[in-house]
Amino acid sequence: MIDEDLAGLLGRVSLGDRDAFAELYRQTSPKLFGICLRILGNRGEAEEALQEIYVKIWQRAGRYSQGQAAATSWLAAIARNQAIDLIRARKPAANVIDEAYDLADPAADPENSAVVRAEGRRIDACMEELEKDRAEAVRSAYVEGLSYQELADIFAVPLNTMRTWLRRSLLKLRECMER
Amino acid sequence: MTAPTPEGRDFRRDEVIAGEYVLGVLSADDRRKVEARLASDRNFAAMVDRWQSNLSSFDEAYDLVVPPPRAFSAIERRLFETSQPEPIQPRRGLWNSLAVWRGLALASLAALVVMGASMAGLFKEPSAGTPLIAELTGKGSAVDLVARYDRASGRLKVTPVAARQAEQKSLELWLINGSNPAISLGVLPQSGEGEIAVPSAFQARISAGSVLAVSVEPLGGSPTGSATGPIIALGKARSL
Repeated sequence: MIDEDLAGLLGRVSLGDRDAFAELYRQTSPKLFGICLRILGNRGEAEEALQEIYVKIWQRAGRYSQGQAAATSWLAAIARNQAIDLIRARKPAANVIDEAYDLADPAADPENSAVVRAEGRRIDACMEELEKDRAEAVRSAYVEGLSYQELADIFAVPLNTMRTWLRRSLLKLRECMER
Repeated sequence: MTAPTPEGRDFRRDEVIAGEYVLGVLSADDRRKVEARLASDRNFAAMVDRWQSNLSSFDEAYDLVVPPPRAFSAIERRLFETSQPEPIQPRRGLWNSLAVWRGLALASLAALVVMGASMAGLFKEPSAGTPLIAELTGKGSAVDLVARYDRASGRLKVTPVAARQAEQKSLELWLINGSNPAISLGVLPQSGEGEIAVPSAFQARISAGSVLAVSVEPLGGSPTGSATGPIIALGKARSL
């Protein structure tokens, strides 16, 4: 996928250009269908998800702004969110946001994260700084769309341990990306 | 979600929640909470965007799989076919998709534009006294505009009509007060000519707060007395 072309196509789609929409679909649907298949693991569901995804792309194309994100990652995020919503509806996961948990890590300064700034580092280099199994858990969570419980089962660790792994890993990645 | 602490918000916890959302590990309920906050908290939304772009290199793990041809036909049917009967419901999505219509006030549905003499040159060599008509179309739009220019008065009238499709359609205007059923105010003239004369019985019912909506209907208007086609525009009346 060539991002410049995709951004241009998204611009035309936001003006209701059906030919641009067809071309955007031709260029991007194999990737987005691949995302649906990987996360949902079922062709029928993946096809249904793909429909929802392109309906959303048609409706939201006007909200895509160049410079804010690469067109490919903007499109992939719509696809992943759709697929993850479907799988969470099918296989409910426990709520965790409202529960109290401890992120204490004396090394990090909370004020560092107060301003959201862009950074140039690639995530790959930072992933290598994580312990191997934790990096693997982060990557499978993202790629497979797994819940905390599924990750805990696969990595054979208690649920709370998996939560701590991922949360600490996210903070370490954040800190590494800003270095 | 995150309770403000005396020194301000707990940014590290926000970063974790934003990251958990992008990873996809949260429950459906938690995902809705995050999305509600995305709409109201720009700093938090920036955290989510940043995780999204940071982690997007993992997208390389996804294989390319060409979907079956029927998938795109189904998408086009859902987006562009207007002939299926649909309930009268404000359709935010479709409304958004009509970029041309965004921000267009309903008051301008039959806009009268008084043009200066210089604009008359746009319409070439008309035979005297005959009005000129131009059809303004946009790809993928459910509506066209018909511009009708009267040389004698210098008036240019612009009226929306249902876009040319395989089957001819009409645009019908509806009045909705509170939870009462929608009342048809009439069909917008396909010729770009004339205005809708509101039946006297309904005149008193149009007031600030009334909702006006436009639906795409079979030629001549809804056969049932209530809207059968998709609502393509909708807005609340207010005093100017």
